Amino acid sequence: MSVSKNKGTNLLRRSEKSSLRRFLALYFTLVVMILSLLGTFYYQSKEKLMYSDQRTILSNYAHEQIQQLRRLHRDFPQKSDYPRSSEFRSAIYDIERSKIFSTLKHPEVNFDKELHHQGGMITSVTYLDDYYLGTKYLFIEIDEDKDWYSGVMMEIFTLGTIILVVLAIFGLFFVNLFLRPMKNSIMLLDDFIKDTTHELNTPISAILANIEMMNLEVMGEKNNKKLSRINIAAKTVSHLYQDLTYLTLDHNRKSNDEWIDLKTLIEDRVEYFAILAGSKKVLFSLDLNYSTIFIDGIKIARVIDNLISNAIKYNKRGGTIHITLRKDYFIIKDSGIGIEAEKVNDIFERYTRFNSSEGGFGIGLNIVRSIIEEYSLKIEVASVLGEGTTIRVDFLKGTVDDK
Amino acid sequence: MINKIILISFVVVNLSAKEPEQGKNVYENHCIPCHEHLPYSLQKIYMLYLKTFSGELTFKASLKAFLKSPVEETSVMPDEWIENFSVKEKSELTDKELDEAIDTYWKLYDVRNTLH
Repeated sequence: MSVSKNKGTNLLRRSEKSSLRRFLALYFTLVVMILSLLGTFYYQSKEKLMYSDQRTILSNYAHEQIQQLRRLHRDFPQKSDYPRSSEFRSAIYDIERSKIFSTLKHPEVNFDKELHHQGGMITSVTYLDDYYLGTKYLFIEIDEDKDWYSGVMMEIFTLGTIILVVLAIFGLFFVNLFLRPMKNSIMLLDDFIKDTTHELNTPISAILANIEMMNLEVMGEKNNKKLSRINIAAKTVSHLYQDLTYLTLDHNRKSNDEWIDLKTLIEDRVEYFAILAGSKKVLFSLDLNYSTIFIDGIKIARVIDNLISNAIKYNKRGGTIHITLRKDYFIIKDSGIGIEAEKVNDIFERYTRFNSSEGGFGIGLNIVRSIIEEYSLKIEVASVLGEGTTIRVDFLKGTVDDK
Repeated sequence: MINKIILISFVVVNLSAKEPEQGKNVYENHCIPCHEHLPYSLQKIYMLYLKTFSGELTFKASLKAFLKSPVEETSVMPDEWIENFSVKEKSELTDKELDEAIDTYWKLYDVRNTLH
């Protein structure tokens, strides 16, 4: 079977989106960590380069200052002005590390580090062989290049952003590559359902139409029972057909919203499911007030059909289904098997079923959720294992008729 | 009693005041008379020592060692000087007198006092 592109099937499922999000989070964390590490290395190499440049400058200043000290030593004490420069500051210390003279801004000096970086200043130390004026240690101090820091940070930020964007594109590409087999499998399944659905319509319609036309009065009791079973089976298949059609074909059609009388609709759907419920001796208990909602008729019918169908399917034999309708909400409560608390959130996932012993594809509640989300309705599921499930659907203001 | 205290105070003050005075006297009496007739001033010799030994302790120890045992090898003077004037004679001063004289010499020409 070929895998065709289908808007409905191309949409990522929640689990896929969740996987995608987790993968991207992990990917970005790793990328950011690697980039931070690279940024640190880059910063350190640039810093070394800067210090190397500064060392050359400081060395030139030191050489200049030594020449000045040599001249001063020769002319001392006739000349006694310590040599000063606008480019740098300096200090001289004797062999016993006792200060002779200093013009440094930062008074603390380090005799053992050739280059010392402190308080926004860089200081170098030069060891003299001829002790002019007794100088063994000559310190040269200059202000740190502040533009260098902002320049390097800007480079790191710009490069980091570009690399991050490029890697993000690669990340998305790889995610699509890795998810493709999973998406193909889902598309294959969807395509299979779509193709099969087409073939189901005509025979089911024929069966249901013929059952409707049959004259039950002339038939015997045994045949009536058999016909009833055929009717139930056909309606079950028809219900499945409706879901599959909605999922594969109707899902993307434009909504045709109109005011729907919910009371009439629910009564109609209950009557439709009466034979199915009767087969399990499930009784309906209706408490319906008048309510209208502005919604697509087919879509709200899918919501009610699926909720009632599930209430019958997962009910006990001889159980009950209470349906309550008020102006802005309705409740469908069954006395069925219930759902485990931790699985309540998963029931809306496609191909998820409450119980594998029951038939179905597990698409009904997925359809319900997609419609609920489309119309921004609110759905609440409360379930007690072994006691039953209560599903409440609230309509938003504006969707219900306030008249 | 008060008279005793005044007397002791007078002696102490007099002695402490006398020490640098003595050092200065040693320097003035035993160093200047010879050096003032030489073409190399004491200040210039000081700068030579400073350029060679840098620190105060090293300066003083080296000068003292030279004065006690002056030889050509340990002299800081230029070769021309030694050729013309030869190495000085061994000092007859005591260690204490030498220390006092060298202290006075160091303080007198210390560059820290003159640099500005």
